[in-house]
Amino acid sequence: MSEFDVIVVGAGPAGSSAAIRLASKKMNVLLVEKSDPPGTKNVSGGVLWGHELDGVIPDWEKTAPVERYVKAKTVGFLTEESSINIDFRSRKFDENRSGYTVLRVKLDQWLAKKAVESGAMLVNGVTVDRLAMKDGKVVGVEQDGDTITADTVILSEGANPRVAIQSGIREPLKDHDVAIGVKEVIKLPEEKINERFNLRGKEGFAGEYVLGFLKGGVEAGGFLYTNKESLSLGAVISMKHLRANGNTRSFDIIEEFNSHPSIAPLIEGGKIDEYSAHMVQEGGYSSIPKLFGDGYMITGDAAGFSFSNGLVLQGMNYAIQSGITAADTFIDLKEKGNFSNSAMSLYQEKLQKTFVMQDMTNFKGIENVTWGNLTHQHLPGILENVMLEIFMENGMPKRHMYKILMDAMKKQNVSSSRMISESFKMIRRL
Amino acid sequence: MKIEDRLSLLNYKTDKSFAHITVDQNICETCPDHFCTYACPAKCYTLIEDKLNFKYEDCVECGTCVVACSHGSVSWNNVKGAHGVKYKYG
Repeated sequence: MSEFDVIVVGAGPAGSSAAIRLASKKMNVLLVEKSDPPGTKNVSGGVLWGHELDGVIPDWEKTAPVERYVKAKTVGFLTEESSINIDFRSRKFDENRSGYTVLRVKLDQWLAKKAVESGAMLVNGVTVDRLAMKDGKVVGVEQDGDTITADTVILSEGANPRVAIQSGIREPLKDHDVAIGVKEVIKLPEEKINERFNLRGKEGFAGEYVLGFLKGGVEAGGFLYTNKESLSLGAVISMKHLRANGNTRSFDIIEEFNSHPSIAPLIEGGKIDEYSAHMVQEGGYSSIPKLFGDGYMITGDAAGFSFSNGLVLQGMNYAIQSGITAADTFIDLKEKGNFSNSAMSLYQEKLQKTFVMQDMTNFKGIENVTWGNLTHQHLPGILENVMLEIFMENGMPKRHMYKILMDAMKKQNVSSSRMISESFKMIRRL
Repeated sequence: MKIEDRLSLLNYKTDKSFAHITVDQNICETCPDHFCTYACPAKCYTLIEDKLNFKYEDCVECGTCVVACSHGSVSWNNVKGAHGVKYKYG
């Protein structure tokens, strides 16, 4: 007889959502978290997109410690001297709120508290060393030489899945799977934020940028989000390209971003109050490990669930949904008391019916577009040259757009046949 | 802001009896790239007179180095007893 129905490893959005769902169905759940209190080692950009929390906390939009709702979304390219942005701002977001800026220490602590209120047992400051195995089956977790047993272990340990790797149920991460995330939280008075970003009340701004000014083949995306009284600013740096460059330090890239002429005025007078960093899952479908086995399931970042196509950048919604789906799988299997590998395949089956696996499958290979050479090295420069010629009056006769574009591409050494074939690929994959 | 100043903003509960990351100096000695010194966002890896110097005390537990080191020198464990970095925002 196991001590628990389920042990959930990690009290982030995935783990706490799983624990809430299980506990509310009267399952005996242990939620183990290495930090104390929960959330204090967790980092995300971060915007929480979607409404997956509805499934575990119906009134979360009113009660969760969110910062602002996204009213304005910007996607842009930054070159050394210019920025080319799409700014989308809609009153539709007032009624249909789709994204909320969050700070994880607050959010994760709140979620873990909800898990406890639902009946889960939470232990903080306890580090699981590895999965406890018996006859090739997972029977619980090992911690400091002790074994705690459960019918099933749900691994929700985040982007650096040490327990899964150390237990031999997933491969170590490689360059392709991850990017390096660096972030700063900048204190700025609420009125200043509202003024600079053209916001009122709880309205918020979320901006994501291709950092086209980086030299030497380094590729990174920048983000800038508004919290109530602070800004979250950071960069997500491709491991592969940073390695190929071999001469740029990850922490210098955030400096280059925050001193960019289009970004610096927005953060001026602000005080950096925290610096943080974390690996980001970026590998898409090809980074997903085997998601289940005898007595275990893997959720959230630990399972490689994140989505990025250059326009949207999401992870927490995938974490929450996969946590809920893992919990539902266990609840179904509990009736028959069978937690074998073949029974557990129900998790994969259920996930396939949700946006989690559908997005991951439908956008197979998207990481090659988002981290593509054209997007980062050439497109920003091409766009800049086109805009400069269109908008800079110098008394010369005007030229047709087509001619301007052709010249801009030539300057960037991008042939028209390459542009056409890569654009086509991009459009198909996006 | 310099990286040293950035790190000084952070709260740590340092585990004096357990280094959660260890490096194999024998491997680092012959390393051709020392990519860790570029990848680590907390500047835990530095070269002092061509010798790799690693200090786990500044680590923010991001996990970058274990992927960055392609030579198998880095062993990465989760911290124990809620030691290590403690963010206020995250």
